[in-house]
Amino acid sequence: MSAGGQSQAMFFRARAARQAGDVGLRRTLQKARPLFVGKRAKGIAGLAADGLGFGALRTACADIRRRVVDDLDVWLEIFEERARATGAEVLWARDGAEIRRHVLDIAARHGVTKAVKSKSMLSEEAGLNEALADAGIRPVETDLGEYIVQLAGEAPSHIIAPAVHKTIHEVEALFAAEHGRPLQARSSADIPAMAREAREVLRQHFLSADMGISGANFLIAETGSAALVTNEGNGRMVTTLPSVHVVITGIEKIVPTLEDFASLMRLLPRSATGQTISNYVSLLTGTRGAGDGEGPEKTVFILVDNGRAALAGSDFADMLRCIRCGACMNHCPVYFSLGGHAYGWVYPGPMGSVLTPLYTGIENALDLPHASTGCNQCGVVCPVEIPLPALMHRLREVQVERRLRPLAERLGLGAWGWLARRPTLYRLVVRLAARYLRWLADDSGRIRVFGLAPGWSAGRDLVPPSGPTFLERYAARKKD
Amino acid sequence: MSARDEILGRVRRGLGKGDAAGRRAKAEALLAAPVRGPQPAIGGELVARFVARAESLTSTVSRVAAASEVPASVAAWLAAQGLDSYCVATADVGDLPWSAAGIAAAVRSAQDADMVGITGCYCAIAETGTLILLSGPETPASVSLLPETHVAVVPAERVVATMEDAFALLRSERPGFLPRAVNLVSGPSRTGDIEQTIVLGAHGPCRVHIVIVGDAPAGAR
Repeated sequence: MSAGGQSQAMFFRARAARQAGDVGLRRTLQKARPLFVGKRAKGIAGLAADGLGFGALRTACADIRRRVVDDLDVWLEIFEERARATGAEVLWARDGAEIRRHVLDIAARHGVTKAVKSKSMLSEEAGLNEALADAGIRPVETDLGEYIVQLAGEAPSHIIAPAVHKTIHEVEALFAAEHGRPLQARSSADIPAMAREAREVLRQHFLSADMGISGANFLIAETGSAALVTNEGNGRMVTTLPSVHVVITGIEKIVPTLEDFASLMRLLPRSATGQTISNYVSLLTGTRGAGDGEGPEKTVFILVDNGRAALAGSDFADMLRCIRCGACMNHCPVYFSLGGHAYGWVYPGPMGSVLTPLYTGIENALDLPHASTGCNQCGVVCPVEIPLPALMHRLREVQVERRLRPLAERLGLGAWGWLARRPTLYRLVVRLAARYLRWLADDSGRIRVFGLAPGWSAGRDLVPPSGPTFLERYAARKKD
Repeated sequence: MSARDEILGRVRRGLGKGDAAGRRAKAEALLAAPVRGPQPAIGGELVARFVARAESLTSTVSRVAAASEVPASVAAWLAAQGLDSYCVATADVGDLPWSAAGIAAAVRSAQDADMVGITGCYCAIAETGTLILLSGPETPASVSLLPETHVAVVPAERVVATMEDAFALLRSERPGFLPRAVNLVSGPSRTGDIEQTIVLGAHGPCRVHIVIVGDAPAGAR
């Protein structure tokens, strides 16, 4: 991530080309892909053993999220009231700048010098780590994957597996440099030792930090709680040991009841990693209780808009149901050809192709809604029935409506539209065009260089049309 | 205008619905009478299901007939693992006869140097092999978190079928009150962040051992 959570999504083509040309990256991604797909398939198949159907569960989960999104204002007010009643403070942030201001403010009031962080995509949206460092507060990412990308000075390339693009050798180089030890030759047998090394370094950070920053997988309206799901246990550390806990989360993350949460927990881990349940699921409510010797003395929720409120009631409201499981990217051929960094902002894959334009400006991410093969794998696996390809398609329509497409494309489509409304002329032009294309073909019957789309014909040959046009054939058949 | 009012205003304009009071009443009604989603059919005996799931999550399980037998069972397990008999424990299991079994159990919050933490549990979920631990003065969350080894004592009658059943128990036994942390623990801590290779013991315990008390099948002692 660049400073301030700035999007690089307008450079998608250049970034995609660079990433696609990285042979090592492609090998790493191609190795990971079947693992993600296979684990989810196994996890979903396991539902049947308990007599649960994926379809019914998915509809129930989508309905829970629909109920919230359809009355989001009401649910936000209820959550705020109930969270305050437990002793937590509730703040609101319009954008990344306001998140940064709130967090720095809280840090200053509590004399914070080090903040340990459990994964929070909102903090990535805000570019919070840079702001903390600038203010003299050390931010330490504690999810192992996030820690690795933080050491590398990079952004996560996957929301569930942030360092999926890193090889063991790259991780070894980062650890040797950060932990002040000589570089060692590493094989996969050494992965437990490397995880152990990170555990020991990060344990000292957990014990010495003054502030814990986390996201929330869900906010539970009924109890005013944050629900946090992790496998490593870093979420528990961050929310148990420091004396201040700040939860930064989007306004759309609410679920009404504990029962609703239980339903969603049958699909979230299965969709993300294929697990029946994540190792640690914590419901965090208020602050440390009377007589408690541990737990935060101060809990602050920062409820963030940053583009979300504008989606309420819009053509894109479906996207507010997203529970950030990552299944869409795990099943996306485009994601696995390019890796997450090509997308240029916090959210990669189909999720990012919809969220990035909506949250950072449609005109700032023109190529992302086109980064799709239309295969609809993302739509099929989504646990809350978000029609991702349809949303990308709608974004393309908005680009056309707002005249954001390139001039040549607009002129071309305009000319075609003019022509298509004049059938006689259209038939004549098509007949001539077909003849022209046949004339362009070389002896082998192929067009090697096509002047109107040189980029397209650079990598492949065009086969010219053969025989009469469709309308000619149609007319001839009618006569028979 | 405050950020709060501006954000809520944007949401309201987008939704374009009036009748805030009516919508609020509907939401409150939903909260007053929570509805369960599709429920799994957890067939067979709950404890057996819990054990099978816990073991599939790489927890280990032993069973004893009575609480008084827990310390000897834990001592034997610790010795077999080559682990120290100095433990930190939560108060809910602090009264068990630990010293008679050769275990020195200190009842307090855990510190970094503690190697074994022993806890009770509020209840356990058969569906997923999950322990539910509530934080509190008697049951500090650090005991199940900081030590490398977590030993949990689970009364057989506290094994429920689903997460919904566990929440129902919480509602009836502790109405209107959730402690700071309700921790659902399902096996040892793990990470797959280096080349998607699963490693146990990322930040939390690398071993979870569960002792089930009561309801032990004949001959399983």
